Amino acid sequence: MGGAERTARKRRQQQQSAGARAVSQARQGGGGDTKRIVAVVAAVVVVAAVVIGGVLWTNASKNATEGQTIPAVNASAADDYPERRDGVVVVSGKDSAPTTIDVYADFLCPVCAQFQQAYGAQIEEKIASGELRVRTHMVPMLVDRSDPPGYSLDAANAALLAADEGKFTPFHDSLFAHQPEEGKRGYSKDQLIQLGRDLGITSQAFADGVRNGKYDDELTAEMQRVANDPSLQQDFGEGQKGFGTPTVVANGSIVSFSDSNWLNKLLNNAKS
Amino acid sequence: MGTLARVGLAAVWLISGGIKMSDPGQTYLAVQAYDVLPHSLVGVVATAMPLLEIALGLFVLSGLATRVMAGVSAVVLLLFIAAVAQSWARGLTIDCGCFGGGGQVAPGETAYPQEIARDLGFLALAGWLLVRPRTLFAADAWLGLGWARRRREPVAAGE
Repeated sequence: MGGAERTARKRRQQQQSAGARAVSQARQGGGGDTKRIVAVVAAVVVVAAVVIGGVLWTNASKNATEGQTIPAVNASAADDYPERRDGVVVVSGKDSAPTTIDVYADFLCPVCAQFQQAYGAQIEEKIASGELRVRTHMVPMLVDRSDPPGYSLDAANAALLAADEGKFTPFHDSLFAHQPEEGKRGYSKDQLIQLGRDLGITSQAFADGVRNGKYDDELTAEMQRVANDPSLQQDFGEGQKGFGTPTVVANGSIVSFSDSNWLNKLLNNAKS
Repeated sequence: MGTLARVGLAAVWLISGGIKMSDPGQTYLAVQAYDVLPHSLVGVVATAMPLLEIALGLFVLSGLATRVMAGVSAVVLLLFIAAVAQSWARGLTIDCGCFGGGGQVAPGETAYPQEIARDLGFLALAGWLLVRPRTLFAADAWLGLGWARRRREPVAAGE
């Protein structure tokens, strides 16, 4: 590039507006380097802030259950009715109750928590009054849906162990009342053991059973059975059928709880 | 036009990244649902992806290293399209989770063609910027970066 050309360009630049001239000079002069350094530093700082802040925030959000104590919820009517474990099913209420329902649920399933919130108290009340007997199947359907995986199975196993100690209902209600979110950290085995302690379970067998996964194999087999049981298949529309939680079965058929009065209707049918 | 493409692509990245970031649990499930990655990588990718999207959005919005960032955007979008296409081909029934949501859905609720078409649209924006990275109000121009800008400068200055 010759000197004449450079002079010509300078002259042309003088005809430009002041703003444009400033930009153009800065681009060609030594100021450009400073600006580039500033820009690179700013970019690095911003990206570092986004990455560090983002990772911290994401981990904090995903591990929100860490270090927490699961608040113990003592069911009001829980102690007033018999409760026993039958394999991987927990049977609540008197055998003489005119109506029996089977409830299939998963401790990590959000709709199950909503179901529990909407109808849990009502169900427990009807069990206590002797009108209803409930066979609760806590199935580990969503084992992979927590990070790390396994909360669904750990919780179901711990609930069966709580049933062995006569504390199934408060244990079950406590876990649903403060349910961990799907895709995030669930509760650890230690946290489940601590909840048991807070509910008055002191035996070593409970703690050991939670740690060793005493009923894990049985629960996994039950999940397999339930998923393939034709009588438990629901129609989700669009020709899609399958097992989902929560599912309530009475008299061999699936109960729809789109009608919020479904329980009273069932109990009334048994009376008439 | 290039400026619109830049702002559009930046908005896509910032919005999709922001929504994913705000619900890490859902993002984890969405990544898992593609059923491509081993378990140990699902968490890493689910954490990193929204951050990558936000960083790309910031770069593209500010017009810094536009051509490079457009290139990275195109590569990421191609990966997304490949991920959606493999789900479609294998008959998985998932939502792409492109803008939040994601995970398993009922078979009738999949929207693979629309999702791929949308990503191709975004890819077109990235492609435009890759070919013509020079846009208005871009940090590249202010810094005198980018070959396209410098090559055309004498012409522009001559007016």
